[in-house]
Amino acid sequence: MASHGLTYEGCNFLRQRLVLSALSGKRVKIKNIRSKDDEPGLRGTVLVYQPGLLYGGTVEHDCNPQRSIGYYLEALLMLGPFMKSPLKATLRGVTNDLTDPTVDLLKSTALPVMKKFGIDGEGFDIKVVKRGMAPGGGGEVVFTCPVRKTVRPVQLTDPGKIKRIRGVAYSVRVSPQMGNRIVESARGILNQFLPDIYIYTDHMKGANSGKSPGFGLTLVAETLNGYFLSAEMLSTPQGQGDPILPEDLGRNCAKLLLEEIYRGGCVDSSNQSLALLLMTLGQQDVSKVLLGPLSPYTIEFLRHIRDFFQIMFKIEVQKPLEDERKGGDKVLMTCVGVGYSNISKTLK
Amino acid sequence: MDGKVKKQKQHQQKHSGPKAEKKKLKKQNGSTEEDERKRNPKAFAVQSAVRMAKTFHRAQDIKTKKHHVPVVDRTPLEPPPIVIVVVGPPKVGKSTLIRCLIKNFTRQKLTDICGPVTIVSGKKRRLTFMECNNDINSMIDLAKVADLVLMLIDASFGFEMETFEFLNICQVHGFPRIMGVLTHLDAFKNNKTLRKTKKNLKHRFWTEVYQGAKLFYLSGMVYGEYQNQEVKNLGRFISVMKFRPLVWQTSHPYILADRIEDLTDPERLRTDPKCDRTVSLYGYLRGTHLKNKGQVHIPGVGDFQMSDVNFLPDPCPLPGTQKKRALNEKERLLYAPMAGVGGVVYDKDAVYIDLPANHVKQLQEEVRPTTELVQSLIETHVTLDAKMAASKVSLFSGSAGLDPTDISEVQEGLREIHVWDAHTQTQRRKVVFTGLEEEEDDVSGSSSDEDDDGSDQENQEEEDDLSTFLKEVRDKSEKATKGSTPPVKKRKLEEMQGEEEVIAEAPAFADSEDELERGEADSEGEGEAERAGDSGHCSKESEEDSDDEEDGDEDDESMEEEIGADDSDEEEEQGKYHSGTFKWKEGLQQKASAAFLRHQEAAPNLRKLVYGSVVEAEDSEEEEEELGGLFRVNRPQKSKKVQADALDCSHFNPDISHNWELEEMLNSIRDCFVTGQWEEGQDAATLLKEDEELYGDFEDLETGKVHKGTTGEQDQAETDHQSGRTKSESDEDETDDEDQQVKMDDEEVQKNKRLEKKRRLKERFDTEYDDGDATYFDDLKEEMQKQAELNRAEFEDMDDESRVQYEGFRPGMYVRLEISSLPCEFVTNFDPHYPVIIGGLGTSEGNVGYLQMRLKKHRWYERILKTRDPLILSLGWRRFQTIPLYHIEDHNGRHRLLKYTPQHMHCGASIWGPITPQGTGFLAVQSVSGVKANFRIAATGVVLDLDKSVTIVKKLKLIGYPYKIFQNTCFIKGMFNTVLEVAKFEGASIRTVSGVRGQIKKALSTPPGAFRATFEDRLLMSDIVFLRSWYPVSIPQLYNPVTSLLLPVGQKDSWSGMRTVGQLKHDLGVRNKPSIDSLYKPITRAPRHFNPLHIPKELQKALPFKSKPKLLQPKGKVPRDLKRASVIREPHERKVAELLRALSTVHHYKKKVAQRAHHAKHKEFLQQKEKDEEAKMKRMKDARKKLYRIMGQKDQKKQRSSLKGTPQDD
Repeated sequence: MASHGLTYEGCNFLRQRLVLSALSGKRVKIKNIRSKDDEPGLRGTVLVYQPGLLYGGTVEHDCNPQRSIGYYLEALLMLGPFMKSPLKATLRGVTNDLTDPTVDLLKSTALPVMKKFGIDGEGFDIKVVKRGMAPGGGGEVVFTCPVRKTVRPVQLTDPGKIKRIRGVAYSVRVSPQMGNRIVESARGILNQFLPDIYIYTDHMKGANSGKSPGFGLTLVAETLNGYFLSAEMLSTPQGQGDPILPEDLGRNCAKLLLEEIYRGGCVDSSNQSLALLLMTLGQQDVSKVLLGPLSPYTIEFLRHIRDFFQIMFKIEVQKPLEDERKGGDKVLMTCVGVGYSNISKTLK
Repeated sequence: MDGKVKKQKQHQQKHSGPKAEKKKLKKQNGSTEEDERKRNPKAFAVQSAVRMAKTFHRAQDIKTKKHHVPVVDRTPLEPPPIVIVVVGPPKVGKSTLIRCLIKNFTRQKLTDICGPVTIVSGKKRRLTFMECNNDINSMIDLAKVADLVLMLIDASFGFEMETFEFLNICQVHGFPRIMGVLTHLDAFKNNKTLRKTKKNLKHRFWTEVYQGAKLFYLSGMVYGEYQNQEVKNLGRFISVMKFRPLVWQTSHPYILADRIEDLTDPERLRTDPKCDRTVSLYGYLRGTHLKNKGQVHIPGVGDFQMSDVNFLPDPCPLPGTQKKRALNEKERLLYAPMAGVGGVVYDKDAVYIDLPANHVKQLQEEVRPTTELVQSLIETHVTLDAKMAASKVSLFSGSAGLDPTDISEVQEGLREIHVWDAHTQTQRRKVVFTGLEEEEDDVSGSSSDEDDDGSDQENQEEEDDLSTFLKEVRDKSEKATKGSTPPVKKRKLEEMQGEEEVIAEAPAFADSEDELERGEADSEGEGEAERAGDSGHCSKESEEDSDDEEDGDEDDESMEEEIGADDSDEEEEQGKYHSGTFKWKEGLQQKASAAFLRHQEAAPNLRKLVYGSVVEAEDSEEEEEELGGLFRVNRPQKSKKVQADALDCSHFNPDISHNWELEEMLNSIRDCFVTGQWEEGQDAATLLKEDEELYGDFEDLETGKVHKGTTGEQDQAETDHQSGRTKSESDEDETDDEDQQVKMDDEEVQKNKRLEKKRRLKERFDTEYDDGDATYFDDLKEEMQKQAELNRAEFEDMDDESRVQYEGFRPGMYVRLEISSLPCEFVTNFDPHYPVIIGGLGTSEGNVGYLQMRLKKHRWYERILKTRDPLILSLGWRRFQTIPLYHIEDHNGRHRLLKYTPQHMHCGASIWGPITPQGTGFLAVQSVSGVKANFRIAATGVVLDLDKSVTIVKKLKLIGYPYKIFQNTCFIKGMFNTVLEVAKFEGASIRTVSGVRGQIKKALSTPPGAFRATFEDRLLMSDIVFLRSWYPVSIPQLYNPVTSLLLPVGQKDSWSGMRTVGQLKHDLGVRNKPSIDSLYKPITRAPRHFNPLHIPKELQKALPFKSKPKLLQPKGKVPRDLKRASVIREPHERKVAELLRALSTVHHYKKKVAQRAHHAKHKEFLQQKEKDEEAKMKRMKDARKKLYRIMGQKDQKKQRSSLKGTPQDD
């Protein structure tokens, strides 16, 4: 009786598959997970997931320090609004590392994206209680999210011009001067474009500083229409590779932000899939989002969306005009939502 | 009297004089003030502020109450036909009415109404009529899809139960428009009873539907049809009716199937008549968009996966958009395949031509040839050669046939080959002249840079003598695909070289299109040095790659699949992560990202990149087929595997080809910032200028400076000055045109300016004006309106084929669904009188789970419902039997199980059933079979929650008995069996039947299960102790869809599912053996003995005398020493005593007589004495009388004399 499931192979895109499975109610089976490896890292190489109800409430999780909290948070952001009761998740582990978007980046970009879809309110926040850098971890993040019955359609087509740049330069278990050095160098590059730049320095001490030393920078550019583009850069983890100078870090990060601005769009590259998911789950209306070039992860996500929800996006490339100086190609994504409603929420 | 009416003198109006003047004046003044409020303001003055506030409040309340929550209008431009369901008890005239309406709209006569009948009723409206037979299954199904219900009521009989049942079904599933139709009105002979009946029926109908609901009267029949005028009126009402969208219908796609074809292979049918059937169903799509391959539910059959959906040309299209009032004859279409009407129909499966039955018969008889041989020759359509070519040799039985094309390499003639065109990103069907391949390659080389399968070999040869450089380049062109591999396309080497030259200024390797995988995979260590050592490294790789290419399933275009290209590279990747730097930071990725980005730029159709094309997907499936049943084509999927096991990371590595040190790069994003240049329309300077224009001249009062509004010409000059672009344009104009032309242009410009100014002014006014009374409601409505417009406009100019892929099949389309595994009974027992509805299911609505609902027994249902009795629910699209548990919420939030539903109250119900969104209504019936005398809808309710954890509990009382009683402490046994059980309940509160409360303290070692407990008072041995606890109940997992459509024709209303325990016992004649304890026995009561009340001595002492117990009991025995001995007389003494007694008796008698005499004497004496006394009194009275008289006289005398003497004194 239960609806037929989907079958995939390999460990990649595990989160996408599980998230979409949980939201669509379709069973998913993943075969051949690192089946050729000597250490597959699992007991078996097959995973079958039968989705149930999303309960929400207060949860705590000690995340594996191999991946940062951002890895978990990306999936949680997609599920958070569709729980039974408002979510309050306390995640412990590595807050900032190199492979995944850091907590700071998600806080400054993913939340505004979700707010555009009508997911907001008092209890919608990501809070960094303790910061834990890469190898050791020891950080703590509290993610609270209200529940919504439906998501509203959006038309995010005009990004507008960037009016200000903000950022956080954080450092733990190193000299507090690091933050200032980062800020100085980053400003040096960004000041060519905009005077309104303010980068906070966030130096955490004592119990809040985690187990490993490190520092990093997250930059966020806000446009006139309230969209956020961001970039980030971190120091190399302790004992892995060559150390990086804070000045270099600041400069490189600023360049990354310029790159992100070059790509442009209303949603920055790390949140493309989140925005596309919320569009898919919207009412049966047309939603539009202007994105920069699609990342490989997003492309795979689009395919997964088609598998789970039978939704295809209309993809139109907008080429910049001859004399326009607004970065590269943009992609306008259009879709009709599936008319999803949160089946976990209790009717009062 | 005399016939002459006396003529009165007519009134003569004054035309002059003071009276006329006055009147004129009054008329003049009076006529100006029509408004009473102004003419007589005092009468309308505010009397009471409170009252005014109240009336205002009330008016606002009424106004707000009228608001509905605004919803986005998602009705398509060409809406599907309106479903009109004609309902009523049998013999009420349903078919007659449909026939009449069809005749009214299309001028056609339909004899048999079978299945849905679709007609065009007007320029913008189509109608689908469906008759609902008297089966509760049909009634439930049709209520869910109806837009309008024509409810037929036999007026001569009155309301029947079916009417009310149907109304209640409608109420649960969303109320469609309902129109009552009274028939059989000609049965009334008496006009007054007719009127009365009409009125009664009308009012009852109004209470059920709404006040003022439309009720039609069909007065009588003319030649077996209703009167034309009345039908026409009804038709008019139908064609102007408006509908409010219903929640369930607008959120689910559904089809009322009007045609069904069995597509099952006849051979399979022959071998296994009971095999599952492949069936195609046709109908108008309604509700919302339908996605291909989705899940659907067919009420009465079950859940199915659609294997295919496609849309067909509308069989009953709306007329064109010419301006005219009525439809012409050709446009009055009628489509009813089940009833055998519909003309010619083309679709995927066949062409259907509707011919009269007699015509068909004739043809068949004519054509049939006499001998079989001739017939077979006639039937042959293909020549022998063609048949030979088409025939296949099968090496093994059951294997796929070996095609001649598989064997022969070279074949003459045209061949079609799918070619991937990189420019257009499309699959092209290229015509290949086999045998001339080489030439063709050269020819096509200029147009397409791709090659086909055939040229593979050639490339192979060339490859051998390639230089390392070429190898390297070739390596870069290696492609991979995920699942869908289009035919091999290999880049021509010459072309690749050429291309490289073109993009020479780009960083090295940026020319190839598949660099990402390399870049991703490349290790950090290789770094910048890679370019130098590249050739060696790549040559190693190229060997592998060339293998891949030989296998020929690598695709140029889908480069991004290749992330983390192969195993060796992946190891390097691992190493990179350990080295702990950002992936995107490395310069190595340059090539990869550059290629990727360029891809996105180069691809005009990004869609193909993401989704691939449908053709590709099919190809890949075909490729897996066996060759001749012996050899399986093995295709390496290494690249896919590798990608499948790559790191799950959402980072998007930046394009390292961008060097952000360069001024050129920095300039490319200048305009992204507020400090950059603005667009013409948004530029602050232009905006300012426009404002200036708008408001024109003004004087700065402080400075006294007067600002003049600039004229158009000046403006022009200014704008030219400001932006180079406009200037260049105007320059061109100047050079081209003559003076006159310039003047004309000037005028034009002026005019435009003025228009623009006007428009802006109006805009401003509008915004100001609207802002004043724009409410939240208005804003919301406007927002919805905008969304609706966008929805319509977005895909408007697309062709249906591609549009369907994006938004799904839209309502209004005539679609054909294919379902591959329908039970055979659906086809064999098909009855067109029963509706076949295909209801689309939303996300996760195909699953089964626990549902919590609020339920109320219907007030017209006679019995209450019992927990665990199976019940048939109609929820969502489905009808199914399930076992509900009823419960109610206690004050502390506990869900307590109920044995029965409450009589007049809501209660909770939990079931195991299909997941349905919260807020969906449902109704319950106990049985769908047969016709019952009573109201059949047992309960109604709504889904509240889909919680998987069920929290229903039932009360469990554990009973124990004291076996040892101390003061307030007791030892209790019999409640538990082990010490462990007791330990779990330590501290629990317990109670005796008499109400003494207590607590479990601690388990005792013997007997097992006994425990010590304390109570607030001393217990008796006869007390019973109990512990109240709550035991969770599990919900039985019964979900049994009602498969009424699968039953044989004529028995479709006899579905019966699981029986209740009561029915089972009744049917099997089983009676419960009651427990002996439950049986009634005569009550024998032992006489009750009450002990005397004992008051302690101390208390007695303290009591007041009154309350002291009275010691009335006889004294104890007299002690022997105090007892007197009894006297026994001697005979003599006895005689003496006898004598004495006799003497005393005589004496007593004498004494009595004497006394009596004495009494009498004394009485006499007393009488005498009284007499004397009386006489004495009389005498004395007389004497006194005399005396007083004398004294009175004396006084009188004295008074008189004094009176005489006194006057002198006064």
